[in-house]
Amino acid sequence: MRMSLAQRVLLTWLFTLLFLIMLVLKLDEKAPWNWFLIFIPVWIFDTILLVMLIVKIAGRCKSGYDPRNCSLALKKKAWYLIAMLLKLAFCLALCARLEQFANMNLCFVFIPLWALLVGGMVELGYNIFYVRRD
Amino acid sequence: MLFSLRELVQWLGLAQFEVFLHVFALLIFSVLLAVKVDGFAPGLSWWNVFIPFFAADGLGTYFTAIVSVRLFQDGEKRLAVLRLFWILTILSLKFVFEMLLCQKLVQRNPDLWYGLIMSPVFILLQLLMIRACRVN
Repeated sequence: MRMSLAQRVLLTWLFTLLFLIMLVLKLDEKAPWNWFLIFIPVWIFDTILLVMLIVKIAGRCKSGYDPRNCSLALKKKAWYLIAMLLKLAFCLALCARLEQFANMNLCFVFIPLWALLVGGMVELGYNIFYVRRD
Repeated sequence: MLFSLRELVQWLGLAQFEVFLHVFALLIFSVLLAVKVDGFAPGLSWWNVFIPFFAADGLGTYFTAIVSVRLFQDGEKRLAVLRLFWILTILSLKFVFEMLLCQKLVQRNPDLWYGLIMSPVFILLQLLMIRACRVN
């Protein structure tokens, strides 16, 4: 069952709002919580997205589905899965850095984010410059 | 992913090119932030780090002005005014947030608390929720 646009917007809005409230509380030193706890709305939201994505991919890989018709859609879903994993890796690395579990340079923390942004820009650029010309 | 690009464009009210511009600004900003925090460029000030965002806001305003003028010339006056008003609102809220954050990072002023800095973002979130009801 596909969620309506209103449900998806509400889901995104709610988790973003919760995360921002917790972030402000932490930054203003009103809540002496661990950074991993502050990111709880992000973890929950990412888990929901990952489960939805895996269910969709599994649905496409069911027996009896013609793979020739869906190779492009499957590639897109695979890219979304990689993007989600990159985002999760960035958030985990950021939390580890902020909690000083790992004393690494910020450059290494940002590598998954850069990969994600470059991938997103390629997809956007394809939509803007290539699809329109077609 | 959760939203298609068409839905996202419809919800945010930004053109695909504007989304591209802001994603590119975020990429350059994150590179400059990493360079600044890791101490690779000691002369780099916080205002310089935020330049990509300010430039994206400026270019976005310029782009919106052009699109609105074209829409106005084509007789779509209501659409032109609505688009101009919406984009200028979100860009100005974003700009205020960036200015306040940059000022906080430069001055380390304890009176400027993060709740106040984030208030434009909270207003923007409410506006986006209202717009989502309209789009739907």
